[in-house]
Amino acid sequence: MGGKNYYLMIAGVGGQGSVLLSRIIGDAALRKGLSVRIGETFGAAQRGGAVHSHVRIGEEVYGPLLMEDEAGALLALEPLEGLRRGLTYLKPDSIVVINTRKVFPIDVNVGAAEYPDVDAIIDALKKLGGSVVAHDFTELAGKAGTTRSMNVAVLGAYARLIEGRETPFTKEDLLEAVKGRVPRRWLEANLKAFQLGYEVADKALKEG
Amino acid sequence: MKHIVGLDEPGKRVILQGNEAFARGAVEAGVQVATGYPGTPSSEIMETLSLVAKDLGFHAEWSVNEKVALDVAVGSAMVGARTIVTMKNAGTNWVMDMFSTVVYRGLPGPLVIVSADDPDAFYSSTEEDTRFLAKGVGVMILEPSTQQEAKDMTKAAFEYSERFELPVFVRSVTRISHSSGDVTFGEMRKDRNPVFFDRHYKLPFRFNVYGPFKYKGKAGPTAKHAWQLERLEEIKDFVNSVPFNRIEEGESDLGIIASGMGYSYVKDALMKLGAEGKPWILKVGTPFPLPENLLKEFVSKVSKILVVEEGDPFIEEQVYVFLKDFALEKPVFGKLKNRALLRYGELGITQVVNAVANYLGIHPPEVPEERRKLKEELVKILAPRSSALCPGCQHLGTYWGLRFALLKLTAKYKQEWKGVWIVNGDIGCYEQGGYGIFAKEITPSEDKASKRYMISNPYEILDTNYIMGGGIGVAQGQYQAGYRDGPIVAVAGDSTFFHACMPAVANAVYNKAAITFIVMDNSWTAMTGHQPSPTSGVTAMMEPAKKMRIEDIAKALGVEHVWTVDPYNLKETEEAILQAMETAYLKKVPTLVVARRECALQVTRRALRSGVELERFVVDQDKCIGCTLCVQLGCPAVGWDKKRKKAFIDPVLCVGCGLCAQTCPVKAIRPSGKGVKLYEVK
Repeated sequence: MGGKNYYLMIAGVGGQGSVLLSRIIGDAALRKGLSVRIGETFGAAQRGGAVHSHVRIGEEVYGPLLMEDEAGALLALEPLEGLRRGLTYLKPDSIVVINTRKVFPIDVNVGAAEYPDVDAIIDALKKLGGSVVAHDFTELAGKAGTTRSMNVAVLGAYARLIEGRETPFTKEDLLEAVKGRVPRRWLEANLKAFQLGYEVADKALKEG
Repeated sequence: MKHIVGLDEPGKRVILQGNEAFARGAVEAGVQVATGYPGTPSSEIMETLSLVAKDLGFHAEWSVNEKVALDVAVGSAMVGARTIVTMKNAGTNWVMDMFSTVVYRGLPGPLVIVSADDPDAFYSSTEEDTRFLAKGVGVMILEPSTQQEAKDMTKAAFEYSERFELPVFVRSVTRISHSSGDVTFGEMRKDRNPVFFDRHYKLPFRFNVYGPFKYKGKAGPTAKHAWQLERLEEIKDFVNSVPFNRIEEGESDLGIIASGMGYSYVKDALMKLGAEGKPWILKVGTPFPLPENLLKEFVSKVSKILVVEEGDPFIEEQVYVFLKDFALEKPVFGKLKNRALLRYGELGITQVVNAVANYLGIHPPEVPEERRKLKEELVKILAPRSSALCPGCQHLGTYWGLRFALLKLTAKYKQEWKGVWIVNGDIGCYEQGGYGIFAKEITPSEDKASKRYMISNPYEILDTNYIMGGGIGVAQGQYQAGYRDGPIVAVAGDSTFFHACMPAVANAVYNKAAITFIVMDNSWTAMTGHQPSPTSGVTAMMEPAKKMRIEDIAKALGVEHVWTVDPYNLKETEEAILQAMETAYLKKVPTLVVARRECALQVTRRALRSGVELERFVVDQDKCIGCTLCVQLGCPAVGWDKKRKKAFIDPVLCVGCGLCAQTCPVKAIRPSGKGVKLYEVK
């Protein structure tokens, strides 16, 4: 069912760069001559609202939406949003990269809800079948030059995790796509963020 | 070229958002004039066109509202130019007067109307299906199923419109407009239509509804209506041959009629079910008029019909009429009686997979029971994320000022009022003042008596909200009906003020409605993505423009008491709003406050582009007394540490507006001292 199609979910909050990230991944697939669909809802707010992107890649894809338990990978730019989308879309035996830097919802700030423990979120995603790499990618991106390259740092970690797995693209395809999408003045910081993200995942894999 | 859609590279394959694909279609058709008003999920069409307009030599404008946008577009197509106008579903309601009138006799130049509906109401107040509006006025509707088709159909729409000299309606939905897909570019038309005017072009008195046009024994509008209905018959015939309508052969007795996104979901569903080629498919690209010859052939091949379409049962209803007309007895399943699919919400892939599986008699994929239980357990730790205003948003300051002005004024007049104010909202970022906190449970009351509710954050301040420009009118009705239990307020943004509020302000002055109107002027149409408005000082094509002042217009409309404040100054804002409400009460006239400060997002973007590092604020943890006042401001950057009972500021989110520092009674919030102050960014 679904043939060799590859489905991926990106979750975050407005302003974190999830849209750019979905376009980079889409470009990488396009380079392989595949069809791409990206489904996005941005929320009403320009910033701070829950944002997620459905990414569908394959020889023949039509609509932009994933079904339940279809995502072979989850890129979570924010932990709570990672859990929200992971609960619905994560496939058993999938890969997860999660940025542990929390962005508190207003519900939590005004005391109407509790932010879950990040370890509990990671644990939940593991129970759902994800091989999880969790890290403060915001801080890591800061080391690369700008916290705004957090999305690309997450992509770097993802590029390590897909090694040895059947994916439509390789690390090199993703890197080329980054170069094609990121504005020139931010490219150096983003390439560095990609590399740092890659190394974090590499270390995590080696440490098991 | 400022956007890829302007590149003259036929055959190039790129990923385009649906709205960019609509724009590319117009570019390939050699568009000469593009107009529109921002509205999610349609805004990026015009936004994209405005980026390439100068280089490709056409006119692109953000009109002040959709009605004006269509009027401008009609004038443009009247003198022969290839014209496109874009809007969201709510905007399409705004254009109905001109839309229903211009179709009587049509226009020499092509006029393409793109309307983006929003099933599931992601960004809208309703799920309205605007295909009914287009059918109501009798024009051809095109409905794309992919981003590629969005481009191809828009290009074809220009051709069809020019052929029949009638507008063509292209209906999008969120999942087309706001999804992206691979699109292959086609040829760009290099020629342009000549611009000319002839009042009797092809038909006498063509552009004057009351002109003495005689036709079929009738004269004037009736004769023109007869002319239009004849064209409609030609269009009905024509749609049988457009490439967007086709039959895909099957091998079972099930026939699926699928249009727009519905078609894409059906194709995906069949692949997931391993049932490709099983049902017959009538792929509909023109939901109105339906291709009746194709429909006849299709119906003859199958014994039951499933209709899959996004929105209301628009095609389905027509299929019922069609079957009745031809005395064909075949069961039809869809959104009407048989409820194969829900009539509310978006179609979604899961629903379509289940429906298709059901009518093919196969089992849809299911989540195993054990996994379902695991999810039910894990979901318990999930917290909601209510929508919020941006960090540093100037509206936070205005709502803070309004909240305390309401409390103070109702306390002052507690003998005269029951203290139950009404704050009427409007459409724009500030509508979030009525989103509430999702995690809070509300119990409604049944008494027909005014009731006061306390609010502790800006997301609960709006009592009412309906449509663009609605609040200022609704407020007047409350006053004229004799509501006197507290002050009556309306709020709206600057773009909304120009869109629909000006006539209502004149009405308030003329009919003496003692209400207070707060215009939250942030210099941009911010919510839809910072399109320029008449307060921005630039046009869609980034040409300098006159910067209009709302206080000047209010005064010219006869509002005698007008205040202009900076919402980054909480004291000043609260004081002005209090005075405005008190003046309205005492003098029995409308009053107006302009709260002006440029959108913080625009300022922070400029800072980022020029490499400026902004100063952040920090909470001195020793000084913080845990009063939560700063948290009540509602800024996403101000957090609350429940365990330690202290406020904190997220350094990544904070933009350094300083609003929270003004709320702190013990001066525990201070600037970090590093970086440029937000106020000082040019």
